Amino acid sequence: MFRHNALRCTVLVLLAAAALFQALTAGYFGLEILTEILILAILVLALDIAAGFGGMVSLCHGALMGVGAYAYAILSAKAGLAPPVAMAAAIVLTGSAAWIIGAICSRSHGIYFIMATLAFGQMAYSYVFEAPVFGGDDGLGGISRLDLSFIGVDLNDSRSFALFCLATLGAVYGASVLILRSGLGRSLAGVMHNEQRMRALGLTVWRVKADVFGLSGLIAGLAGALAAQHIMYISPGLLSWTVSGEALVVVILGGLGTLVGPLVGAAAFVLLKHELSALTPHWHLVVGVILIAVVMSRANGIFGWIEARWDGRAERRAVKAARKQKTKEVLSDA
Amino acid sequence: MLETRNLDKSFGAVHVTRNVSLKLERGERRVILGPNGAGKTTLFNQLVGELTPDNGSVHLAGEDVTALPVAKRARRGLSRSYQKNTLFDGLTVEENLGLAAAVHTGNATQLWSDSLAKPDVREIVEEVAEQVNLMPFIHAKVSEISYGVRRQLEVGVALATRPLVLLMDEPTSGVGPEMSKGFHDLLNNLPRDLTMLIIEHDMDLAFDVADTITVLNYGEVVFDGLPEEARGSSLLKEIYLGSWEDA
Repeated sequence: MFRHNALRCTVLVLLAAAALFQALTAGYFGLEILTEILILAILVLALDIAAGFGGMVSLCHGALMGVGAYAYAILSAKAGLAPPVAMAAAIVLTGSAAWIIGAICSRSHGIYFIMATLAFGQMAYSYVFEAPVFGGDDGLGGISRLDLSFIGVDLNDSRSFALFCLATLGAVYGASVLILRSGLGRSLAGVMHNEQRMRALGLTVWRVKADVFGLSGLIAGLAGALAAQHIMYISPGLLSWTVSGEALVVVILGGLGTLVGPLVGAAAFVLLKHELSALTPHWHLVVGVILIAVVMSRANGIFGWIEARWDGRAERRAVKAARKQKTKEVLSDA
Repeated sequence: MLETRNLDKSFGAVHVTRNVSLKLERGERRVILGPNGAGKTTLFNQLVGELTPDNGSVHLAGEDVTALPVAKRARRGLSRSYQKNTLFDGLTVEENLGLAAAVHTGNATQLWSDSLAKPDVREIVEEVAEQVNLMPFIHAKVSEISYGVRRQLEVGVALATRPLVLLMDEPTSGVGPEMSKGFHDLLNNLPRDLTMLIIEHDMDLAFDVADTITVLNYGEVVFDGLPEEARGSSLLKEIYLGSWEDA
């Protein structure tokens, strides 16, 4: 089950402080990069819940984000719904789609689960790409952001939008922790450890997996609705399997099954992308080499590597303290 | 409480369960004996639904459960422990018991609350931890406790679902003689109305705990009777004890 420790709390506070500082002081491009990181962080939190805590490695989370983005765009720009209603509907729609995908795919495992989710993702991509209502290859534009003027916030301002995304990420992180600490989260941990035993205890395993996948889809849908509002334009590329693949890379780079790690991964990935793409068009090669190094090091991503060293140090300190105490006792006995 | 009627199962040419009919009354404690390869675990797997019999049926509390999947049979009161530990290694003893208790109390899929904090779950966890002598290890992770204590937890997890019938596959497998004696007391102290079916190689435990004994050989029931009758059975000696002498 997910637990916070001193290191996780420290990293969380540092990340939040850095993001807040950037949101308050950065210029336009800095704010755009920050918003990109925050939206990606929401998506990878969704993926970490499913893959890191439930063993459901998904290659359709990009498509789920795309469903959220398109649903928001169509409902707000074409159907004329008020943006908050369109956003809520987009999130629920994506969650429902994810629950159905989860219910079907949860009866398979490992590579078969990955392939089944990939198939769903590609079906969604192809449909959106070809259906005229979604604007085909041209995508959809004219997407408006939420109107928070009633509390004096103009989300059309980049700084306000970045702060809004930061607050949303904070809420999503809190909700993710609550999910993982709930009865459902505990059962998910049991399924992740030993699915056969959980079934023998009377648990309907597919239902637990579908529920968690559905909740993960809700969060991915939220990321999609924010992505649509961020760029104010969407294209089918958002549903491509490469987006899902990138999200998986970010989760692995940061630290699978740690919640904090994917946040670190999102920041590292977007910053690397922007810095390296300024130097070379082959920036993917560098990211690939880093990912291989992370995987080959057997550490659980960047955060996992830090955590392993932190735990090792704490263990050595405890052994040293125990030895010191024993020596003291021996000397006092003598 | 638990009944099998003409249960039959083959894997290709190997006939592993041959026309097995058993009937366990409420509160009965039956031990299944038999040499290695007699089909004891295969029979268990058919009882809980992990294997589908080729023929015959399984009845729990008068209901035919042959077509029900594993989880549904478990929810109707059929719980099992395994010969090899199937615990949740990264979790504590309390969390292991809590997972089972949460399923039984319907808290396993609650989204708004922690199942382990629920009073009904806590009550079962504490009661089972007392029953299987796990209180001293309640906050320890599975990876931190000894093999013998893990065997106790294996039984505890099965018990935490509050079963009508508890199936135990070699509960003392791999534990030392002293701990095995502790298991006798543990099993004898379980509620008398709990029906138990136990696969066991430890003869002392079998004769100490059993109300009735069934002997399987090549998938077939070759003896079904009281422990006293089993002790004096020449057939049993030939089949089961004989295999020891041969070894």
